[in-house]
Amino acid sequence: MRYVPKELTGNVNISRRSPLKELANLLFSLSATIVLIYIALGFLVDIIIPWIPQGVEKNLGKFYEPLYLSQHLDAPFAETIQKLLDRLTGDLKPNKGYKVYVVENSQVNALALPGGTIIVYSELLKQLGSENELAFVLAHELGHFDHKDHLRALGRGLVFFVVSSVFFGQENQVNKFLGNSLTKAEMKFSQRQEQKADFFAIELLVKRYGNASGAIEFLNKIKEKEKMPRFFYFFATHPHPLNRIRAAQDKIKKEGYLLKEPVALDAAFKEFFKKDKN
Amino acid sequence: MENLIILILTLLVAYFVGTKIIEKKHYRSILERERKFLSLPAVTAKTIIAEGRAIQDARLVTGSVVVSIDYFKQFLGGLRNIFGGEVGAFETILDRARREAILRMKETAEGADIIISMRLETSTIGGGEQGKSIGCSEVIAYGTAITFKK
Repeated sequence: MRYVPKELTGNVNISRRSPLKELANLLFSLSATIVLIYIALGFLVDIIIPWIPQGVEKNLGKFYEPLYLSQHLDAPFAETIQKLLDRLTGDLKPNKGYKVYVVENSQVNALALPGGTIIVYSELLKQLGSENELAFVLAHELGHFDHKDHLRALGRGLVFFVVSSVFFGQENQVNKFLGNSLTKAEMKFSQRQEQKADFFAIELLVKRYGNASGAIEFLNKIKEKEKMPRFFYFFATHPHPLNRIRAAQDKIKKEGYLLKEPVALDAAFKEFFKKDKN
Repeated sequence: MENLIILILTLLVAYFVGTKIIEKKHYRSILERERKFLSLPAVTAKTIIAEGRAIQDARLVTGSVVVSIDYFKQFLGGLRNIFGGEVGAFETILDRARREAILRMKETAEGADIIISMRLETSTIGGGEQGKSIGCSEVIAYGTAITFKK
Protein backbone atom coordinates (compact mmCIF):
# COMPACT_ATOMS: atom_id res chain seq x y z
CA MET A 1 0.00 0.00 0.00
CA ARG A 2 1.36 3.32 -0.95
CA TYR A 3 0.87 6.41 1.01
CA VAL A 4 -0.53 9.15 -1.16
CA PRO A 5 -0.58 12.50 0.54
CA LYS A 6 -3.88 14.29 0.25
CA GLU A 7 -4.56 17.87 1.07
CA LEU A 8 -7.59 18.38 3.26
CA THR A 9 -10.10 21.02 2.31
CA GLY A 10 -12.36 22.56 4.88
CA ASN A 11 -12.07 22.27 8.64
CA VAL A 12 -14.45 20.15 10.64
CA ASN A 13 -13.10 21.32 13.96
CA ILE A 14 -14.48 24.82 13.92
CA SER A 15 -18.04 26.01 13.72
CA ARG A 16 -19.20 28.27 10.93
CA ARG A 17 -21.20 30.57 13.19
CA SER A 18 -20.26 34.22 13.03
CA PRO A 19 -18.87 35.31 16.40
CA LEU A 20 -20.56 38.68 16.14
CA LYS A 21 -23.96 37.12 15.63
CA GLU A 22 -23.30 34.80 18.53
CA LEU A 23 -22.33 37.75 20.73
CA ALA A 24 -25.47 39.62 19.81
CA ASN A 25 -27.55 36.54 20.45
CA LEU A 26 -26.02 35.87 23.86
CA LEU A 27 -26.17 39.48 24.97
CA PHE A 28 -29.80 39.69 24.02
CA SER A 29 -30.66 36.45 25.84
CA LEU A 30 -28.77 37.59 28.90
CA SER A 31 -30.40 41.01 28.99
CA ALA A 32 -33.83 39.49 28.49
CA THR A 33 -33.17 37.03 31.32
CA ILE A 34 -32.00 39.72 33.69
CA VAL A 35 -34.94 41.97 32.87
CA LEU A 36 -37.40 39.12 33.42
CA ILE A 37 -35.84 38.18 36.73
CA TYR A 38 -35.80 41.82 37.79
CA ILE A 39 -39.48 42.26 36.98
CA ALA A 40 -40.47 38.99 38.61
CA LEU A 41 -38.56 39.75 41.78
CA GLY A 42 -39.89 43.29 41.71
CA PHE A 43 -43.36 41.81 42.04
CA LEU A 44 -42.10 39.55 44.78
CA VAL A 45 -40.73 42.57 46.63
CA ASP A 46 -44.12 44.26 46.35
CA ILE A 47 -45.79 41.18 47.80
CA ILE A 48 -43.35 40.81 50.67
CA ILE A 49 -43.14 44.47 51.68
CA PRO A 50 -46.41 44.62 53.66
CA TRP A 51 -45.19 41.71 55.74
CA ILE A 52 -41.93 43.31 56.82
CA PRO A 53 -42.22 44.27 60.50
CA GLN A 54 -41.83 47.87 61.56
CA GLY A 55 -38.67 47.10 63.51
CA VAL A 56 -36.67 46.27 60.39
CA GLU A 57 -37.06 49.73 58.93
CA LYS A 58 -36.25 51.33 62.26
CA ASN A 59 -33.05 49.34 62.48
CA LEU A 60 -32.14 50.40 58.98
CA GLY A 61 -32.75 53.97 60.01
CA LYS A 62 -30.04 53.75 62.64
CA PHE A 63 -27.42 53.70 59.87
CA TYR A 64 -28.42 57.18 58.79
CA GLU A 65 -28.31 58.76 62.21
CA PRO A 66 -24.82 60.20 61.79
CA LEU A 67 -26.20 62.28 58.93
CA TYR A 68 -28.25 64.47 61.17
CA LEU A 69 -27.94 63.72 64.83
CA SER A 70 -24.90 65.89 65.28
CA GLN A 71 -25.73 68.50 62.70
CA HIS A 72 -29.31 69.41 63.21
CA LEU A 73 -30.30 72.92 64.18
CA ASP A 74 -31.69 73.10 67.68
CA ALA A 75 -33.83 76.20 67.36
CA PRO A 76 -37.29 76.97 68.81
CA PHE A 77 -38.93 76.77 65.42
CA ALA A 78 -37.66 73.19 65.11
CA GLU A 79 -40.11 72.30 67.85
CA THR A 80 -42.84 74.05 65.89
CA ILE A 81 -42.11 71.91 62.88
CA GLN A 82 -42.15 68.77 65.01
CA LYS A 83 -45.55 69.78 66.43
CA LEU A 84 -46.84 70.36 62.91
CA LEU A 85 -45.60 66.92 61.91
CA ASP A 86 -47.31 65.37 64.90
CA ARG A 87 -50.59 67.02 63.92
CA LEU A 88 -50.25 65.63 60.41
CA THR A 89 -49.46 62.11 61.47
CA GLY A 90 -52.44 61.88 63.77
CA ASP A 91 -54.46 59.67 61.46
CA LEU A 92 -51.71 57.55 59.99
CA LYS A 93 -50.98 53.96 60.84
CA PRO A 94 -48.57 53.83 62.55
CA ASN A 95 -48.61 57.37 63.83
CA LYS A 96 -45.81 57.22 66.31
CA GLY A 97 -42.13 57.85 66.04
CA TYR A 98 -41.97 60.35 63.21
CA LYS A 99 -39.27 62.89 63.85
CA VAL A 100 -38.21 65.89 61.85
CA TYR A 101 -34.81 67.58 61.99
CA VAL A 102 -33.56 70.73 60.34
CA VAL A 103 -30.11 70.55 58.78
CA GLU A 104 -28.08 73.42 57.43
CA ASN A 105 -27.85 73.06 53.66
CA SER A 106 -28.06 75.37 50.67
CA GLN A 107 -30.26 73.00 48.67
CA VAL A 108 -34.01 73.38 48.61
CA ASN A 109 -34.76 69.81 49.60
CA ALA A 110 -36.19 67.49 52.22
CA LEU A 111 -35.34 63.84 52.82
CA ALA A 112 -37.18 60.88 54.18
CA LEU A 113 -34.89 58.41 55.90
CA PRO A 114 -35.83 54.83 56.78
CA GLY A 115 -37.31 54.54 60.24
CA GLY A 116 -39.50 57.60 60.20
CA THR A 117 -37.01 60.44 60.20
CA ILE A 118 -37.51 63.48 58.01
CA ILE A 119 -34.74 65.92 57.30
CA VAL A 120 -35.56 69.41 56.06
CA TYR A 121 -32.81 71.59 54.70
CA SER A 122 -32.57 75.13 56.01
CA GLU A 123 -32.68 76.65 52.53
CA LEU A 124 -36.06 75.08 51.96
CA LEU A 125 -37.43 76.68 55.10
CA LYS A 126 -36.32 80.07 53.87
CA GLN A 127 -38.41 79.61 50.72
CA LEU A 128 -41.64 78.85 52.54
CA GLY A 129 -44.50 81.27 52.16
CA SER A 130 -47.05 79.68 54.48
CA GLU A 131 -47.60 76.94 56.98
CA ASN A 132 -49.54 75.01 54.36
CA GLU A 133 -46.46 74.81 52.17
CA LEU A 134 -44.43 73.37 55.02
CA ALA A 135 -47.24 70.93 55.72
CA PHE A 136 -47.16 69.89 52.07
CA VAL A 137 -43.44 69.15 52.24
CA LEU A 138 -43.79 67.12 55.45
CA ALA A 139 -46.84 65.32 54.12
CA HIS A 140 -44.96 64.43 50.92
CA GLU A 141 -42.24 62.74 52.95
CA LEU A 142 -44.87 61.03 55.08
CA GLY A 143 -46.26 59.70 51.84
CA HIS A 144 -42.96 57.92 51.18
CA PHE A 145 -43.15 56.28 54.58
CA ASP A 146 -46.75 55.31 54.12
CA HIS A 147 -46.02 53.65 50.78
CA LYS A 148 -42.89 51.97 52.14
CA ASP A 149 -40.90 53.43 49.28
CA HIS A 150 -37.55 52.91 51.03
CA LEU A 151 -37.90 49.20 51.30
CA ARG A 152 -39.06 49.00 47.74
CA ALA A 153 -36.06 50.92 46.48
CA LEU A 154 -33.71 48.85 48.62
CA GLY A 155 -35.44 45.62 47.69
CA ARG A 156 -35.14 46.18 43.96
CA GLY A 157 -31.54 47.29 44.24
CA LEU A 158 -30.62 44.34 46.42
CA VAL A 159 -32.29 41.91 44.05
CA PHE A 160 -30.34 43.30 41.14
CA PHE A 161 -27.14 43.11 43.14
CA VAL A 162 -27.75 39.47 44.05
CA VAL A 163 -28.63 38.52 40.48
CA SER A 164 -25.49 40.16 39.19
CA SER A 165 -23.36 38.39 41.81
CA VAL A 166 -24.78 35.04 40.81
CA PHE A 167 -24.06 35.54 37.13
CA PHE A 168 -20.79 37.41 37.15
CA GLY A 169 -19.18 36.60 40.46
CA GLN A 170 -18.56 38.88 43.39
CA GLU A 171 -15.72 41.07 42.27
CA ASN A 172 -16.75 42.04 38.80
CA GLN A 173 -17.21 45.42 37.16
CA VAL A 174 -20.97 45.18 37.06
CA ASN A 175 -21.16 44.57 40.79
CA LYS A 176 -18.97 47.53 41.66
CA PHE A 177 -21.09 49.71 39.46
CA LEU A 178 -24.26 48.38 41.09
CA GLY A 179 -22.83 48.74 44.57
CA ASN A 180 -22.26 52.42 43.95
CA SER A 181 -25.68 52.88 42.46
CA LEU A 182 -27.24 51.06 45.39
CA THR A 183 -25.89 53.47 47.95
CA LYS A 184 -27.01 56.41 45.84
CA ALA A 185 -30.34 54.81 45.08
CA GLU A 186 -31.20 54.13 48.68
CA MET A 187 -32.64 57.55 49.21
CA LYS A 188 -34.05 58.04 45.76
CA PHE A 189 -37.42 56.92 44.60
CA SER A 190 -38.88 56.40 41.21
CA GLN A 191 -40.80 59.19 39.52
CA ARG A 192 -44.04 57.30 40.00
CA GLN A 193 -43.44 57.01 43.71
CA GLU A 194 -42.69 60.73 43.90
CA GLN A 195 -45.92 61.48 42.14
CA LYS A 196 -47.87 59.24 44.50
CA ALA A 197 -46.23 60.95 47.46
CA ASP A 198 -47.42 64.29 46.05
CA PHE A 199 -50.99 63.01 45.89
CA PHE A 200 -50.75 61.61 49.40
CA ALA A 201 -49.57 65.01 50.58
CA ILE A 202 -52.47 66.83 48.95
CA GLU A 203 -54.95 64.46 50.54
CA LEU A 204 -53.37 64.88 53.93
CA LEU A 205 -53.47 68.66 53.54
CA VAL A 206 -57.18 68.48 52.81
CA LYS A 207 -57.70 66.28 55.86
CA ARG A 208 -55.92 68.68 58.19
CA TYR A 209 -56.71 72.07 56.73
CA GLY A 210 -59.89 71.43 54.79
CA ASN A 211 -58.29 72.72 51.61
CA ALA A 212 -55.36 72.02 49.34
CA SER A 213 -53.54 75.32 49.51
CA GLY A 214 -49.81 75.22 49.74
CA ALA A 215 -49.22 72.38 47.31
CA ILE A 216 -49.21 74.29 44.04
CA GLU A 217 -47.49 77.28 45.63
CA PHE A 218 -44.62 75.18 46.82
CA LEU A 219 -44.28 73.26 43.56
CA ASN A 220 -44.16 76.55 41.71
CA LYS A 221 -41.23 77.62 43.85
CA ILE A 222 -39.40 74.43 42.94
CA LYS A 223 -40.15 75.02 39.29
CA GLU A 224 -38.59 78.46 39.47
CA LYS A 225 -35.43 77.03 40.98
CA GLU A 226 -35.19 74.40 38.30
CA LYS A 227 -32.22 74.76 35.98
CA MET A 228 -32.12 71.42 34.13
CA PRO A 229 -33.91 71.26 30.79
CA ARG A 230 -36.98 69.11 30.64
CA PHE A 231 -35.34 66.51 28.44
CA PHE A 232 -32.97 65.41 31.18
CA TYR A 233 -35.85 64.57 33.44
CA PHE A 234 -36.37 61.32 31.63
CA PHE A 235 -33.59 59.84 33.71
CA ALA A 236 -34.12 61.88 36.86
CA THR A 237 -35.54 60.62 40.10
CA HIS A 238 -38.12 63.39 40.51
CA PRO A 239 -40.67 64.18 37.85
CA HIS A 240 -40.18 67.57 36.25
CA PRO A 241 -41.77 70.29 38.39
CA LEU A 242 -44.11 71.25 35.57
CA ASN A 243 -45.42 67.71 35.46
CA ARG A 244 -45.86 67.67 39.19
CA ILE A 245 -47.75 70.94 39.09
CA ARG A 246 -50.01 69.77 36.31
CA ALA A 247 -50.67 66.46 38.06
CA ALA A 248 -51.43 68.28 41.31
CA GLN A 249 -53.82 70.66 39.57
CA ASP A 250 -55.58 67.76 37.87
CA LYS A 251 -55.93 65.94 41.16
CA ILE A 252 -57.32 68.96 42.96
CA LYS A 253 -59.79 69.59 40.18
CA LYS A 254 -60.84 65.95 39.99
CA GLU A 255 -61.45 65.60 43.71
CA GLY A 256 -63.02 69.01 43.94
CA TYR A 257 -60.66 70.20 46.65
CA LEU A 258 -60.94 73.79 47.73
CA LEU A 259 -58.20 76.34 47.71
CA LYS A 260 -58.51 78.72 50.60
CA GLU A 261 -56.33 81.31 52.24
CA PRO A 262 -53.22 79.57 53.57
CA VAL A 263 -52.17 79.77 57.19
CA ALA A 264 -49.21 82.03 57.87
CA LEU A 265 -45.99 80.63 59.26
CA ASP A 266 -45.35 80.64 62.94
CA ALA A 267 -43.58 83.73 64.31
CA ALA A 268 -40.61 81.57 65.33
CA PHE A 269 -39.72 81.20 61.65
CA LYS A 270 -39.61 84.90 61.07
CA GLU A 271 -37.22 85.17 63.99
CA PHE A 272 -34.90 82.65 62.39
CA PHE A 273 -34.94 84.35 59.02
CA LYS A 274 -34.32 87.74 60.56
CA LYS A 275 -31.31 86.43 62.45
CA ASP A 276 -30.04 84.82 59.30
CA LYS A 277 -30.17 88.00 57.26
CA ASN A 278 -27.84 89.58 59.79
CA MET B 1 -22.04 54.76 31.01
CA GLU B 2 -18.46 55.47 29.90
CA ASN B 3 -17.44 52.05 31.15
CA LEU B 4 -19.98 50.43 28.89
CA ILE B 5 -18.74 52.33 25.86
CA ILE B 6 -15.13 51.46 26.61
CA LEU B 7 -16.12 47.82 27.03
CA ILE B 8 -17.91 47.71 23.67
CA LEU B 9 -15.05 49.47 21.88
CA THR B 10 -12.48 47.10 23.40
CA LEU B 11 -14.57 44.15 22.33
CA LEU B 12 -14.90 45.39 18.78
CA VAL B 13 -11.18 46.17 18.46
CA ALA B 14 -10.29 42.79 19.95
CA TYR B 15 -12.66 41.12 17.52
CA PHE B 16 -11.33 42.81 14.44
CA VAL B 17 -7.68 42.49 15.31
CA GLY B 18 -7.93 39.06 16.91
CA THR B 19 -10.31 37.28 14.61
CA LYS B 20 -10.16 39.12 11.35
CA ILE B 21 -6.48 39.87 11.18
CA ILE B 22 -4.36 37.67 13.41
CA GLU B 23 -6.42 34.52 13.08
CA LYS B 24 -6.79 34.79 9.32
CA LYS B 25 -3.08 35.35 8.93
CA HIS B 26 -2.26 32.38 11.09
CA TYR B 27 -4.60 30.09 9.21
CA ARG B 28 -3.08 31.15 5.91
CA SER B 29 0.37 30.31 7.22
CA ILE B 30 -0.85 27.00 8.62
CA LEU B 31 -2.41 25.93 5.33
CA GLU B 32 0.72 26.88 3.43
CA ARG B 33 3.01 24.88 5.66
CA GLU B 34 0.67 21.89 5.79
CA ARG B 35 0.88 21.78 2.03
CA LYS B 36 4.64 21.85 2.30
CA PHE B 37 4.69 18.93 4.72
CA LEU B 38 2.17 16.78 2.90
CA SER B 39 4.86 14.24 2.12
CA LEU B 40 5.75 13.79 5.78
CA PRO B 41 2.88 11.94 7.43
CA ALA B 42 2.47 11.92 11.17
CA VAL B 43 0.51 8.97 12.49
CA THR B 44 -0.50 7.81 15.92
CA ALA B 45 0.33 4.18 15.20
CA LYS B 46 3.03 2.76 17.42
CA THR B 47 4.37 0.40 14.84
CA ILE B 48 4.51 0.43 11.08
CA ILE B 49 5.20 -2.13 8.44
CA ALA B 50 8.70 -1.37 7.23
CA GLU B 51 8.21 -3.34 3.98
CA GLY B 52 11.78 -4.53 3.97
CA ARG B 53 13.25 -1.09 4.33
CA ALA B 54 15.98 -0.64 6.92
CA ILE B 55 15.68 2.17 9.41
CA GLN B 56 18.49 4.65 9.38
CA ASP B 57 17.34 7.00 12.10
CA ALA B 58 14.69 7.13 14.80
CA ARG B 59 14.47 10.07 17.11
CA LEU B 60 12.05 12.05 19.29
CA VAL B 61 10.66 15.16 17.71
CA THR B 62 8.51 17.72 19.45
CA GLY B 63 6.70 20.85 18.50
CA SER B 64 4.94 23.14 20.93
CA VAL B 65 3.03 26.35 20.73
CA VAL B 66 1.25 28.68 23.11
CA VAL B 67 -1.78 30.42 21.73
CA SER B 68 -3.62 33.09 23.62
CA ILE B 69 -7.23 34.09 23.66
CA ASP B 70 -8.30 37.62 22.86
CA TYR B 71 -10.64 39.70 24.99
CA PHE B 72 -13.54 39.30 22.62
CA LYS B 73 -13.38 35.51 22.73
CA GLN B 74 -12.98 35.55 26.47
CA PHE B 75 -16.07 37.71 26.86
CA LEU B 76 -18.05 35.51 24.52
CA GLY B 77 -16.89 32.40 26.37
CA GLY B 78 -17.94 33.95 29.66
CA LEU B 79 -21.43 34.60 28.32
CA ARG B 80 -21.62 31.06 27.00
CA ASN B 81 -20.86 29.80 30.50
CA ILE B 82 -24.24 31.05 31.62
CA PHE B 83 -26.41 29.28 29.09
CA GLY B 84 -24.18 26.40 28.06
CA GLY B 85 -23.64 24.94 24.62
CA GLU B 86 -20.74 24.87 22.21
CA VAL B 87 -18.18 27.51 22.88
CA GLY B 88 -17.40 28.22 19.26
CA ALA B 89 -15.11 31.05 20.21
CA PHE B 90 -12.53 28.74 21.71
CA GLU B 91 -12.61 26.17 18.94
CA THR B 92 -10.47 28.15 16.55
CA ILE B 93 -7.85 28.79 19.23
CA LEU B 94 -7.38 25.12 19.96
CA ASP B 95 -7.58 24.08 16.33
CA ARG B 96 -4.83 26.51 15.41
CA ALA B 97 -2.73 25.48 18.37
CA ARG B 98 -2.98 21.79 17.51
CA ARG B 99 -2.13 22.25 13.87
CA GLU B 100 0.69 24.67 14.61
CA ALA B 101 2.20 22.26 17.14
CA ILE B 102 2.11 19.41 14.61
CA LEU B 103 3.70 21.63 11.98
CA ARG B 104 6.48 22.63 14.30
CA MET B 105 7.05 19.02 15.17
CA LYS B 106 7.29 18.21 11.50
CA GLU B 107 9.77 21.02 11.05
CA THR B 108 12.10 19.55 13.64
CA ALA B 109 11.72 16.23 11.82
CA GLU B 110 13.01 17.65 8.55
CA GLY B 111 14.31 14.94 6.33
CA ALA B 112 12.45 12.11 8.03
CA ASP B 113 10.09 9.84 6.15
CA ILE B 114 7.39 9.36 8.72
CA ILE B 115 6.58 10.31 12.25
CA ILE B 116 5.02 7.53 14.25
CA SER B 117 3.50 7.34 17.69
CA MET B 118 2.44 10.95 17.55
CA ARG B 119 0.71 12.30 20.62
CA LEU B 120 -0.85 15.65 21.39
CA GLU B 121 -1.04 17.12 24.84
CA THR B 122 -2.43 20.36 26.01
CA SER B 123 -2.21 22.53 29.06
CA THR B 124 -3.46 25.92 30.08
CA ILE B 125 -1.17 28.69 31.13
CA GLY B 126 -2.00 31.91 32.91
CA GLY B 127 -5.68 31.29 33.32
CA GLY B 128 -8.24 33.99 33.80
CA GLU B 129 -10.17 34.80 36.98
CA GLN B 130 -10.43 31.77 39.20
CA GLY B 131 -9.82 29.47 36.31
CA LYS B 132 -13.15 30.31 34.79
CA SER B 133 -11.74 31.29 31.45
CA ILE B 134 -8.77 30.04 29.46
CA GLY B 135 -5.92 32.52 29.37
CA CYS B 136 -3.55 30.79 26.95
CA SER B 137 -3.29 27.19 25.95
CA GLU B 138 -0.11 25.34 25.19
CA VAL B 139 -0.18 22.37 22.86
CA ILE B 140 2.72 20.03 22.50
CA ALA B 141 2.96 17.43 19.75
CA TYR B 142 5.57 14.73 20.02
CA GLY B 143 6.42 11.58 18.18
CA THR B 144 9.17 9.41 16.79
CA ALA B 145 10.63 10.52 13.45
CA ILE B 146 11.73 7.58 11.36
CA THR B 147 14.17 7.94 8.47
CA PHE B 148 14.55 4.94 6.19
CA LYS B 149 17.81 3.98 4.55
CA LYS B 150 17.73 5.18 0.99
